[in-house]
Amino acid sequence: MPRKRFCVLCAALFAGAVSAMAADRACAAARPIAAAEQQGYTGGSEKAPLGTLQSADATPAAKALACKQLAICGTKAAVPALAALLGDEKLASWARIALEAIPDPSADESLRKAMGKVQGRLLVGVINSIGVRRDAKAAGGLAARLKDADAEVASAAAAALGRIGGPAAAKALEPMLAAAPPAVRTEVAEGCVLCAERFLAEGNRDEAVRLYDTVRKADVPRQKVLEATRGAILARGAAGVPLLVEQLRSTDSAALGIGLRTARELPGPEATDALAAEMARMASDRQALMLVALADRGDSRALPAVLKAAAGGATHVRIAAMGALERFGNATCVPVLLEAAVESDAELAQKARGTLTKLSGQEVDADLLARLPQAAGKTRQVIIEVAGQRRITAALPAIVRCAEDGDAGVRGAAVEALGAMGGAQQAADLVKVLRKADANEHAGIEKALMTISGRGGAACAAHLAPLAQAGDSALRMIALHALACAGGPEALAAVRAAVNDKDEAVQDEAVRTLSTWPSMWPEDALAAEPLLALAKSAKKVTHQVLALRGYLQYVHGTRKLKDDERLAKVNAVMPLVTRPEEKRLVISALGTIETAGSLEMLVNFAADPALAGEACSAIVGLAEKKDLKGVSRQQLQKALQTAAEKSKGAPKKKAEDLLKALK
Amino acid sequence: MFEQAARLNRRRFLKAVVRAGAVLAAPYVIPGTVLGKDGGVLPSERITLGGIGIGNRGTYDLGCFLQESDVRFLAVCDVKAARREAVKKMADAKYGTTDCATYRDFRELLARPDIDAVLIATGPNWHATAAIAAAKAGKDVYCEKPCTKNIAQSLELAATFRRTGRVFQGGMQRRNLPQFEFAVELARRGKLGKLHTVHAQPRGMATSSSGWAPEEPQPPREEVDWDMYLGPAAWRPFNKKLLDGFNFEKGGGMVGGGVLEWGSHCVDICQWANGADLTAPVEYDPPAGGRAAARYANGVNLVLRDDGWLALGSCPVRFEGDMGWVETGDNGDIAASSPALLVGRGAKIPGYPANNHIRDFLNCVKTRGQPRASADVACWSHIACHAANIAIFLNRKLKYDLKKHEFIGDAEANRLRSEALREPWRL
Repeated sequence: MPRKRFCVLCAALFAGAVSAMAADRACAAARPIAAAEQQGYTGGSEKAPLGTLQSADATPAAKALACKQLAICGTKAAVPALAALLGDEKLASWARIALEAIPDPSADESLRKAMGKVQGRLLVGVINSIGVRRDAKAAGGLAARLKDADAEVASAAAAALGRIGGPAAAKALEPMLAAAPPAVRTEVAEGCVLCAERFLAEGNRDEAVRLYDTVRKADVPRQKVLEATRGAILARGAAGVPLLVEQLRSTDSAALGIGLRTARELPGPEATDALAAEMARMASDRQALMLVALADRGDSRALPAVLKAAAGGATHVRIAAMGALERFGNATCVPVLLEAAVESDAELAQKARGTLTKLSGQEVDADLLARLPQAAGKTRQVIIEVAGQRRITAALPAIVRCAEDGDAGVRGAAVEALGAMGGAQQAADLVKVLRKADANEHAGIEKALMTISGRGGAACAAHLAPLAQAGDSALRMIALHALACAGGPEALAAVRAAVNDKDEAVQDEAVRTLSTWPSMWPEDALAAEPLLALAKSAKKVTHQVLALRGYLQYVHGTRKLKDDERLAKVNAVMPLVTRPEEKRLVISALGTIETAGSLEMLVNFAADPALAGEACSAIVGLAEKKDLKGVSRQQLQKALQTAAEKSKGAPKKKAEDLLKALK
Repeated sequence: MFEQAARLNRRRFLKAVVRAGAVLAAPYVIPGTVLGKDGGVLPSERITLGGIGIGNRGTYDLGCFLQESDVRFLAVCDVKAARREAVKKMADAKYGTTDCATYRDFRELLARPDIDAVLIATGPNWHATAAIAAAKAGKDVYCEKPCTKNIAQSLELAATFRRTGRVFQGGMQRRNLPQFEFAVELARRGKLGKLHTVHAQPRGMATSSSGWAPEEPQPPREEVDWDMYLGPAAWRPFNKKLLDGFNFEKGGGMVGGGVLEWGSHCVDICQWANGADLTAPVEYDPPAGGRAAARYANGVNLVLRDDGWLALGSCPVRFEGDMGWVETGDNGDIAASSPALLVGRGAKIPGYPANNHIRDFLNCVKTRGQPRASADVACWSHIACHAANIAIFLNRKLKYDLKKHEFIGDAEANRLRSEALREPWRL
């Protein structure tokens, strides 16, 4: 619930006749957790709430909440007072909350007695509670109510008898399948199904089957027939297969639906065999649905039939079959799937590749690896793609060789697979491939190198650094990108050197790369010093700006420096900060530096209308910190006053609230 | 420090990995072609839909449904006339007709044989009761979360959908969002080593009550049907401030609060990551130091916490194994102890759209399979939340018997497992 709305509710509750206990709890929801921990239920006696119930002066609200408390702590002693409310239209539902919860048999007795006293909806409520408590002693009384003129009462009685279960309940319900009026028959049928369910759970399979079959053949709503059919199939076990198959062959979609559902539930090899055989006989639309059901069963006994379905036939059936293979396929499926994976139907081929990726078992990896040398063309490409997806690292040497295959598709797949699972060694291999590759393949290799470098980190830098000195400037650019992904001192050194590259485009890229060099890795803090130098003295203005931004981001993000050290670095660079864009970066950094100096600088920035919004938000952010070092109350007050004056909306309100709290 | 480093490095790393390949496969997804060109158990059939309680969230959900070409929205039910009319207008505008029927009583909508499925987006007070009624009437159900008000309702929900063979999808749409799927796959496939802790952010742990507000003049039933709005919640007089929001999910008003509201999302994802879709923690601790903890039978700890998350948006989860960790949230990002874990993470989808989740539901309506947030899945994840709530409310450690569905040796806790519904409603 949104907090605002909850607070409105809390306010409403406070205004109303709410017990102290309820109000405390309602409002506690809006408190911080720590406060909430302090108050929880600490136990209690029934004396007070029982007194409330018995008091002539207590309001209905107080009595209602007393009932709630008695639901937890009420005993036999509370039952008479609660039972007295069962005829009260306003409080009966509250009283039943307690009566349903109190374990003492006197609660059952009070509900049974109330069956003879209350009427209409209140009687329905009493009967419902009897059902929840499964009071077998009430079966006789409930049976009599099955013929009540009030259909709601009769239906409630049927439902309660179903919950209670047992021979007496079933005996009362069964004849009513035919005798009850239509308005009641639904609940009677449901009661019978519940009784059958309980018979089965208690080991009385024959009686369960008989009762399910009785409902199946009764003139009751279709949904109840379906429920009984499902129950009849499951209760029969393996002997239920013919009835299940009957549903699957039905022209009625509801029967087919319950058949498909039950096909997932009926356990045992006989059922799997029968369902697989049935699948093979079905028309293609049903075949697809049946294959999905077989997939959900997850029984590999169906594998031969499913594999056959995957090998040929209607496309949607083959796709469904492959879905089932994902669940229980094995290495024997590889040939069929490899063939499908190179077919012209794109969706089918895609599904086959996906299934090859998802087949479980190391023998699948071994099979694919063994096929790779012999395969050619598109099949080879598929195997490489799948090997990459499956992370078959044993295939890396073979895949490296394929990176220089005569087939462009194979080369592309090999490069991508190397990117997906390669390490530092494959970075070295790819650099060699890159040096020989056509320009139109550079992008794929660059992506793979970046991926490997991001994963392998500094270990890749040694293989990439020489590339940063290649004769071709395009290769040097690729090297910069990969080095940035690798990170570490060696990569940084190579990128720094590239700042003085003979090619201006490479210089620009080097500065750009340096300016976004993350500062969180301990070794990457080394980027700060060259960035500062560039900010001060780079030949190109764009380099100065990029470097300054990078440096400010370093000051903002670094966790290696203390707050006063970070502030000193900001101050040192301030003469270079002239444009609003960089000033905003300074403000952003100052907002994370919890010192008096940073607060003072933010107040100064707030004087500039173009920066006031950001500065004031940062002031408020700092003011919310608990331990601002060296900040006097007076300074804080002044800063917040500035924020309240110079900002709008949420920061202004927050500043005003903080000022009030300060006072 | 380590966490932040990994995250920042990832920003750079992601530039490099651009679709390096989806190595960690998502769970089985049914391709559209399998379902036939037009869809349906019989392929020529569309899925006909009705809506129950379509307010703000429901309107969003309905918008997603209406985007699906194989859905036809036929009718709306709401206790508020203004909502009925607004939704009718939305549907009629979509189809260029005036056919969308309106109902005040959802039982009339459920009685229509031409409606296959319903979207239930009432307040949580009604969720389980309406969903169970819909299943018994032969409808498939997409139901917003929290799906149940207590442990007993959770069990009844699961049992009913099993018995009826109907399809249920709880509104825990993060089950069908790629960042959560990816993180879960890392945990379930052992990429983090042996999983030992899963973290969820329930956004608040206080248990709370909805109480009884002062009586105000009741509007005409056609305008607002207060009796139907209260539904299974214990009776109280009309008060317009109680007319919106989650006011009666605590029934008469005892146990509720943030653990359930957001936990039904994030605890659910933790259950998934732990391979615990059909179970729940067996031990629950009350909050201490801003965190509440629970433990599964397999030894994995579930930590409910608000503190110390990376900035990955709302509803964050974090999974920790002995070889690594992963964390994700609603902004679509994923952070991990090692960039290598993030290879193949696929497209980023920020926010928490429900489109995929709704498509999953519709596919299962056709195949009769189980969607990712099925009634069984919802049952167990909600039990985990309810049990945690009870431990928080009672402020003591609890042990839960997964077979008997009772707290061991704690009579008070056991009394909080269920709550009577107001007459004439029953599950």
